[in-house]
Amino acid sequence: MSGHDSKYFSTTKKGEIPELKDELNSQYKDKRKDAVKKVIAAMTVGKDVSSLFTDVVNCMQTENLELKKLVYLYLINYAKSQPDLAILAVNTFVKDSQDPNPLIRALAVRTMGCIRVDKITEYLCDPLQRCLKDDDPYVRKTAAICVAKLYDINAELVEDRGFLESLKDLISDNNPMVVANAVAALAEIQECSTAPIFEITSHTLSKLLTALNECTEWGQVFILDALSRYKASDAREAENIVERVTPRLQHANCAVVLSAVKMILQQMELITSTDVVRNLCKKMAPPLVTLLSAEPEIQYVALRNINLIVQKRPTILAHEIKVFFCKYNDPIYVKMEKLEIMIKLASDRNIDQVLLEFKEYATEVDVDFVRKAVRAIGRCAIKLERAAERCISVLLELIKIKVNYVVQEAIIVIKDIFRRYPNTYESIIATLCESLDTLDEPEAKASMIWIIGEYAERIDNADELLESFLESFPEEPALVQLQLLTATVKLFLKKPTEGPQQMIQAVLNNATVETDNPDLRDRAYIYWRLLSTDPEAAKDVVLAEKPVISDDSNQLDPSLLDELLANIATLSSVYHKPPDAFVSRAKAAPRPDDDEYPDGAETGYSESPSHAVDGAPAPSSTSTVPHTSTRYPVPAPAPAPSPAAPMPDLLGDLVGLDNAIVPVDQPATPPSGAPLPVLLPSSTGQGLQISAQLMRREGQIFYGLLFENNSQAVLDGFMIQFNKNTFGLAAAGPLQVPPLQPGASARTLLPMVLFQNVSPGPPTSVLQVAVKNNQQPVWYFSDKISLHVFFVEDGRMERANFLETWKSLPDSNEVSKDLTNCVVNSIDATVEHLAASNVFFLAKRRNANKEILYLSAKIPRGIPFLIELTVVIGVPGVKCAVKTPSPELAPLFFEAMETLLK
Amino acid sequence: MISQFFVLSQRGDNIVFRDYRGEVQKGSAEIFFRKVKFWKGDEAEEAPPVFNVDGVNYIHVKVAGLLFVATTRVNVSPSLVLELLQRIARVIKDYLGVLNEDSLRKNFVLVYELLDEVIDFGYPQTTSTEVLKSYVFNEPIMVDAARIPPLGPAAMFMQGTKRMPGTAVTKSVVANEPGGRKRDEIFVDVIEKISVTFSSSGYILTSEVDGTIQMKSYLSGNPEIRVALNEDLSIGRSGASVYDYRSSAGGAVILDDCNFHESVHLDSFDMDRTLTLIPPDGEFAVMNYRMTQEFKPPFRVNALIEEAGPSKAEVILKVRADFSPSVTANTIAVQMPVPTYTTRVSFELEPGAVGQMTDFKEGMKRLEWCLKKIVGGSEHTLRAKLTFSQESHGNLTREAGPVNMNFTIPMYNASRLQVRYLQIAKKSKTYQPYRWVRYVTQANSYVARL
Repeated sequence: MSGHDSKYFSTTKKGEIPELKDELNSQYKDKRKDAVKKVIAAMTVGKDVSSLFTDVVNCMQTENLELKKLVYLYLINYAKSQPDLAILAVNTFVKDSQDPNPLIRALAVRTMGCIRVDKITEYLCDPLQRCLKDDDPYVRKTAAICVAKLYDINAELVEDRGFLESLKDLISDNNPMVVANAVAALAEIQECSTAPIFEITSHTLSKLLTALNECTEWGQVFILDALSRYKASDAREAENIVERVTPRLQHANCAVVLSAVKMILQQMELITSTDVVRNLCKKMAPPLVTLLSAEPEIQYVALRNINLIVQKRPTILAHEIKVFFCKYNDPIYVKMEKLEIMIKLASDRNIDQVLLEFKEYATEVDVDFVRKAVRAIGRCAIKLERAAERCISVLLELIKIKVNYVVQEAIIVIKDIFRRYPNTYESIIATLCESLDTLDEPEAKASMIWIIGEYAERIDNADELLESFLESFPEEPALVQLQLLTATVKLFLKKPTEGPQQMIQAVLNNATVETDNPDLRDRAYIYWRLLSTDPEAAKDVVLAEKPVISDDSNQLDPSLLDELLANIATLSSVYHKPPDAFVSRAKAAPRPDDDEYPDGAETGYSESPSHAVDGAPAPSSTSTVPHTSTRYPVPAPAPAPSPAAPMPDLLGDLVGLDNAIVPVDQPATPPSGAPLPVLLPSSTGQGLQISAQLMRREGQIFYGLLFENNSQAVLDGFMIQFNKNTFGLAAAGPLQVPPLQPGASARTLLPMVLFQNVSPGPPTSVLQVAVKNNQQPVWYFSDKISLHVFFVEDGRMERANFLETWKSLPDSNEVSKDLTNCVVNSIDATVEHLAASNVFFLAKRRNANKEILYLSAKIPRGIPFLIELTVVIGVPGVKCAVKTPSPELAPLFFEAMETLLK
Repeated sequence: MISQFFVLSQRGDNIVFRDYRGEVQKGSAEIFFRKVKFWKGDEAEEAPPVFNVDGVNYIHVKVAGLLFVATTRVNVSPSLVLELLQRIARVIKDYLGVLNEDSLRKNFVLVYELLDEVIDFGYPQTTSTEVLKSYVFNEPIMVDAARIPPLGPAAMFMQGTKRMPGTAVTKSVVANEPGGRKRDEIFVDVIEKISVTFSSSGYILTSEVDGTIQMKSYLSGNPEIRVALNEDLSIGRSGASVYDYRSSAGGAVILDDCNFHESVHLDSFDMDRTLTLIPPDGEFAVMNYRMTQEFKPPFRVNALIEEAGPSKAEVILKVRADFSPSVTANTIAVQMPVPTYTTRVSFELEPGAVGQMTDFKEGMKRLEWCLKKIVGGSEHTLRAKLTFSQESHGNLTREAGPVNMNFTIPMYNASRLQVRYLQIAKKSKTYQPYRWVRYVTQANSYVARL
């Protein structure tokens, strides 16, 4: 070949397309090849060369692989816009798929799978079937991926033609590359399907673990990720798996290492021997640290993951804090993450070293980094009581440099330190007051004002200091106004002299008459009333002792943490968000016309980009103390003001979780993997979509809700109400949903109670729900109550008790039904599955080919269900008989069983 | 899995664009570039390598001044994608000899052919140059080598990656030499990046070596190779021995951790510390290692800042080369941030200094001192007088520094890890391939605090 490819980019003066057309039809091979290259060149720079379709396709029948590949590349690009012409290529494809050259066979199926034209897809099936059984592994591995392509275009076709079975057969292939691709394809198909397609049994597990050793690095990742879904049956099996996976930690490819770490962490949950666990932790530490020697991009991913790992298992890296010290040339995104981990690993043992580092960082150039370093010092002070004094002296040293943003940041954290250790460090107030005039950030101002109010009795000129702020009261942001109001009241209560009295009058006047902010106004009125009716009571309220705070900032909710840990080595672990928070469900929806992806097509999800990486410099979202009551310190019994400014999504999400009425030890997120059914589609809800389902978690009933705001407006003030229903289900607390920005979504678990407003009449499963918000009309939708969420944990019956109850109930209380859609494939699995939903197994017997199972369940108020299931293994249709004191519930009970057995 | 792959130039031009799944809109490259360029609306902010815009995840790396980007809609393994992007860059470089905008544009057909074999439907298939050779038919077109900046150690810095593709060789592993036959040769480079932090009193706070044994083979017939390392090399420090100073006195080399390329057989590694492998074509890291065992830092840096009058200060920087006079370090750069209210700096070099340059970067408030060469055992000093626009707060050491140093020292390695010998299985008596074993040490983060 002569010359450079780049010459193909040069344009000719006269009509380019006709000229190319001529060349494509040239009788000389080389000229045709050159012409196709030119066409491809034009295509890649975005020129429309679709009009040459026929001419290019004519060049397809060639023995020259190089040319063939070029034509195929063209076809993939334009077939969608020229579906009728694309049919012309089908014959060649089918022919090529039987070519003696395996490269051509593979190329043909690979390309056909990329052409998303229905008519072509039909012709793909036969060649694909052949290629899945080809002698050449290169062809088989290409065909394996092609099944996933086809599933994406036409899932039914894949199921009908038995491709899934062929794919499963490939798991046992003797070529590891083929195995890896089959695993990747099956995993993807499983991802888009609710049916169990790719279930990992202990048999597949051992096969895959063997293949793991021979695979390419990429194949190893596919396999490890697929295996991470496997739940070992006991500690022994878990240990075996871990043993097989541990050598992967030595791999040079970081993706392999992280996937192996994920797998090990998951199995560790099952391992009971502390020795084994300690040993594993020891083994994982060096490879994790080694990830920090990779490129900065990989370091970033590793650090975000390590952040999660140390929250769960702090011992793994407890002795490695030095490796997280920032390097001079680390990119800022790496430095920020290292800082976060340093705080997490800081302990009484290493705090001196750590403080020395923080002090250095606090004098660096990058403002966000410096602020975070200052905040880090404060957070260490709150975390480590014995080091608090040293932290404070470092902060004071930094304040003396008089760099404005350092001073402000320091004051913010010192306020938290004061709250954590009351009456300990007030001696430094004088130093703080020197910087009073330089404060221009609301948060720093508010913090300073809080300090003055809190210690008004010890600051001689507290009234003067506050007065200097009062002049600009109307112009201040709400945050500062609220603090000024409270601080002035504190001052007045502590020093009820003339000066403060005048000040309080002015402030109360300002805060009630001259403001539009309801939070400020309401708080002012409450103070006013308190002060005018009973100053002593006011004292009790405003000057009450405050609860102790702890450094729980950037500490994830335990259930979220568990979910994220299960997603180590995925994007989810980098964003610190569960997958369904950012993965758009484009798959579920019918595809829009392929070629067009208008920007607005994906309304399902959009995230405010600045929060794409939380933990990154966003001072407001990395607050030291996330609870509003401490961030904006108010006397405890007074109602905590909700912040006036709309919170960023992320914080909103977290606050939403934190504040939920759910007790802290309860899971606060719905289980992953089970998407909630949509009850109010966004088309009906003017852009608001609500998905919800009743669920039982650790003995409590919850209503899991997902709100997605696809409208153009911010939606807030969500409330929920349930109509009277058979079981008297009602909300146990208010609905906690943060204001939803357009494109944002929020999940919540609403705790439910029973027997609140029972509707009379025959039992039904209907649950009518009304949801309102401040912007839209009230939405009504209807949900179905599935009885199994009521099955209580203590529903297990003793055999004797069961028989006795059975006998004591009249026969008229026995109802039975054929559950035709259910099939039991394994007694053990079914029993285990039912037990997980509180349907407990008692005994079984065998009658001919039938298995008869006896089970029990109980719903609140002690209503038992005695159950007899008659099944034939593997044959659809389960006969379910139930005896209960409340036979009127039987229809609902059968529905529940049907759901459980599906 | 990944949906699209593209390569953008520094200006944001699309050099390569391949869509594997058709589920992300076509304009993604533009959306990405705008986002990266103005992260948080600020040109100075550096975007993290992984972020999400409107449901599309963008994952990128910077290689040789180019942006390698992948997009996806699903919850992929980001480390897999990042490794893949690095590997694609490496494969392309193996094929084209050099990786830059020019070579990519000249070889776009070959690059597309490679991309089709490397990734199918978003799933990485193979990134081994060796394997790819049997499926890829286009021949590379070499860019004019004369136009490439000399690939000295300085150029390694420009590559901007840590494991540094392209240590010295810029020929394609597949293209034939103009003369016809390929020259049989093999390069083994021991590359170490060292990080040291000195406290203000000159005491070593942290020190670390990140090393790679990198190989690039042009041997015909894929012979087996044995690489022998220090016999007393040991791996994994046992618990408390982190602060064990005995070992630093010329004893054994103790690595914290290491990992190996998949082609490496470790059968005899435990016995005699030799690695056996059949090197695949292309450049790859035979072994990566990490060491925090104490080592002798090649340079001692002394920095002093003192008030010299009401709004003046004096800085003294001293650099001493603590290595053998037979070794010469090159491209040394010393940088020191000065107080933000510094307006003028005058420099005073030692008498008779050659090949030294000084500069005050006013915008960044930093002084810079560059030295072409430093011979082992020598010492160099720089004095600088600073003029301030205001009086200092009396805490100059907090407002200036730390001093950061960059350098490259060829034929020197801090860890004392050695390739004792490099043995190539002989095909015949006359078979005498060229063997190059080279060492180089570079500063990663070499910092002295004030």
